[in-house]
Amino acid sequence: MARIECIFFSEFHPTLGPKITYQVPEEYISRELFDTVQVYIITKPELQNKLITVTAMGKKLIGCPVCIEHKKYSRNALLFNLGLVCDAQTNTCALEPIVKKLSGYLTTLELESGFISKEESKHKLLPIMSTLLEELNATGACTLPIDESNTIHLKLIQLRKDPPIVQEYDVPVFTQCKDHFIKSQWDLTTQQILPYIDGFRHIQKISAEADVELNLVRIAVQNLLYYGVVTLVSIFQYSNVYCTTPKVQSLIDDKSIQEECLNYVTKQGHKRASLRDVFQLYCGLSPGTTVRDLCSRYSLQLQNVDERRLIQFGLMKSLIRRLQKYPVKVIRDERSRPPRLYTGCHSYDEICCKTGITYKELDERLENDSNIVICWK
Amino acid sequence: MTDNSCTVISSGSRGNKLLFRYPFQRVAEYPSSLTAKQRNPYALNTAGDGLEDQDGDSRYKLCLIFLLKRFSDIILSTILATKSDMCGKKFELKIDNVRFVGHPTLLQHPPVIQVSKTDPSPKREMPTMILFNVVFALRTNADPSVISCMHNLSRRIAIALQHEERRCQYLTREAKLMLAAQDEITTMTEMDGSPQSPFRQILPKCKLARDLKEAYDSLCTTGVVRLHINNWLEVSFCLPHKIHRIGSNYIPPEALERSLKAIRPYHALLLLESEKALLSQLPLDCSPAMVRLIKTSSAMKNLQQLAQDADLALLQIFQIAAHLVYWGKAIIIYPLCENNVYMLSPHANISLYSPLAEHFTQHFPGYDLPSMLAKFSLPVSLAEFRNPLEAPAQEAYLIQMVVWMLQHHLLIQLHTYVCLLVPPSEEEPGLRDEDLPLAARVGGRSLSTPSALSFGSPTSSDDMTLTSPSMDNSSAELLPGGDSPLNKRMTETLLASLSEHERQVILNIPAAQNPEDLRMFARLLHYFRGHHHLEEIMYNENMRRSQLKTLLDKFRSVLVVTNHEDPIISIFQSPME
Repeated sequence: MARIECIFFSEFHPTLGPKITYQVPEEYISRELFDTVQVYIITKPELQNKLITVTAMGKKLIGCPVCIEHKKYSRNALLFNLGLVCDAQTNTCALEPIVKKLSGYLTTLELESGFISKEESKHKLLPIMSTLLEELNATGACTLPIDESNTIHLKLIQLRKDPPIVQEYDVPVFTQCKDHFIKSQWDLTTQQILPYIDGFRHIQKISAEADVELNLVRIAVQNLLYYGVVTLVSIFQYSNVYCTTPKVQSLIDDKSIQEECLNYVTKQGHKRASLRDVFQLYCGLSPGTTVRDLCSRYSLQLQNVDERRLIQFGLMKSLIRRLQKYPVKVIRDERSRPPRLYTGCHSYDEICCKTGITYKELDERLENDSNIVICWK
Repeated sequence: MTDNSCTVISSGSRGNKLLFRYPFQRVAEYPSSLTAKQRNPYALNTAGDGLEDQDGDSRYKLCLIFLLKRFSDIILSTILATKSDMCGKKFELKIDNVRFVGHPTLLQHPPVIQVSKTDPSPKREMPTMILFNVVFALRTNADPSVISCMHNLSRRIAIALQHEERRCQYLTREAKLMLAAQDEITTMTEMDGSPQSPFRQILPKCKLARDLKEAYDSLCTTGVVRLHINNWLEVSFCLPHKIHRIGSNYIPPEALERSLKAIRPYHALLLLESEKALLSQLPLDCSPAMVRLIKTSSAMKNLQQLAQDADLALLQIFQIAAHLVYWGKAIIIYPLCENNVYMLSPHANISLYSPLAEHFTQHFPGYDLPSMLAKFSLPVSLAEFRNPLEAPAQEAYLIQMVVWMLQHHLLIQLHTYVCLLVPPSEEEPGLRDEDLPLAARVGGRSLSTPSALSFGSPTSSDDMTLTSPSMDNSSAELLPGGDSPLNKRMTETLLASLSEHERQVILNIPAAQNPEDLRMFARLLHYFRGHHHLEEIMYNENMRRSQLKTLLDKFRSVLVVTNHEDPIISIFQSPME
């Protein structure tokens, strides 16, 4: 979270020109720094009401210059800027809406009751700024009554990366315990599909069983993805093939992942699985080996381990990855239609989901077709 | 990625001046703030801040700016003509959703042509430049590393311009041309009332303007910029985000750098273009070492071998290799040899209709890419793929295919990693296996490597000369001496890093009764943490693969092995992380 080092209030004084009227903590912005950047704080008309972030002398200053024109002001205009200061390396995108909102609040206050131009009320800015600094840094949110009729509500919103597209053959799984989930905070669609998210049902199945339209399910799950509540894994079948990634070594290196894993994969009511057994199981996954093969080869290690949860955890933490089958039609008649699904772009998962045939049936169809090669990746 | 344009602004006693910008702003976009007195939007801002100095010289600050359409030229000159104390450092300014990045540069020395101070005439035609600023404008969702890179380019251009200004007042001369062209247009516009872009007129007259335009165009297309400021100083730059793309993903520069820092002498350099093509791209004054390296490199030679063959220091090889990788001309792989095991990269494009498939067929007529790729669905060693039953010419052809696939990021190489995990003891069911403490590396000196191979015949990675003068440094443990007290003590020391339980289990293994085997096991203990693959162990310890495998087999009850790609170089095949 971006840490705010200082909040300042700057204005154009009728005789002294641009100056910092208040700043918390005091003396944070040096004379030198202000001189260098003042042209970006109290600005020419064309730059007013724009969010301006300037970096100088190891600091970043974010402000939004305001100009209110009226005959009553000396020089016929009131120019001010309530800004934040952070360290130059900080990513300040999340602070920008706050600065903009603050400038809006102050503008309203001034227009309604001359909050800034009257000396008695202007003094109130200092304690307001102090509280803002403290609370925004502590909790990322601040609710502050200014006077009888006005209250400031501010919250730092973390911007997250765009979530990937959710396919009908993807399986959502909760990243944290499902019980911690407060249903009422979410929309109706999400609430309706929640009971069906068990880490094994894929989107198409959830849609069928929850009786919610497929695209709505996709969007709802994508939303859950955005907030990091769920992550996506692939459909589980005993015929699936997986292999290890370099990350599998983190099971050895990282104590916290070890703990989490052993807790997650141990069979209900059984003695806690040993690290060695679990690591051997993961390392037993390799190209050409199905989960069924693993179960027969490592039956001893699987005594205390739930293999479905083992695979689930491995996928969630990227310790293992799934090898999907992609059929490609390489030889075809000039006259026949170009392949639609057998192009190397669609996996078995996808083809079976879309066409409704089972893996076994697809295998039988393609095995005997010499024009088709299968790529695993 | 970028919404750039290029502007040159000067500011001085007569106010800030916009000298040049590219792309040209369309006149229609201009704010309709034209008063009855037809204000020319390109007019110079004469509302000076009164920077007239005592001498009467009109000093002005010159700013070259890459600027976005929405800002008027006058505003830009105000905000981008920075104060002197911002000079020599990164300049970063964000206005709404446009980010400006530059490197304001101070020119300390006045030009050689001195203005006579006794001359009372107020306006001089030879202004003195104090400061200039090369600025780029970017969309704000640009990655921070992109912004750093653009700052880098701005700084490089600034350095070149500063040098040329000191040497022959290049900047002053170019600025004069730009100003003159602007004045011309201003006059013309005043006469016929239709504003047009003066910058279009500047291009044919002013080399600097053309250079800046070229920089902009290159950045937007290839990501590689090569300028010759004043036809003399070269400024070269590449934007890694544009160059290192695999499909729709790019390799972040930090990941690239981490990878390059971690490469080892047993890695190899794989050129992504033919030797001829690469050599033709090099500048005339490039280092001869680079040429030698390119001519002697091969997919089968590791960097150590390359150093010997090209007669260069290993450090130099590392540096040149890193340079080539950074510029997108090469990648790092493990040298091709028979025992290498390859598999399809998870990000490989295996579509029937991909442009790659077409290129492949052009390169290797009679073969189609998906069929070849299907052979790598299961991990296959180079020896198996080659199929010794085929004619030797055919073999070479297949090797070339593998090289092609590696160059196009289609294959990953799998290595075997070993981890020590002792079965938990019976008495303490709650005891968990402790992490191995990091033992100091023993030796690690680069020893002999696979001998030089001719193209088309990779050999076994075992083919190492075991007798080498540098063998003397190896620990005494390599010397046959059986049960000497020295050897015994060394083994004990090495095993001391284990817990009591672990030690017991290991000593109970039948193979541990053989002192030689136990000694070797103890010596290799620090490799068994899952971070060193077999080839690395073989290289560092000068062992044959068969030796190592036998040892691992003997102690298999306490070891767990797995195969996966080498995380150090896997970014070249799978950029997502």
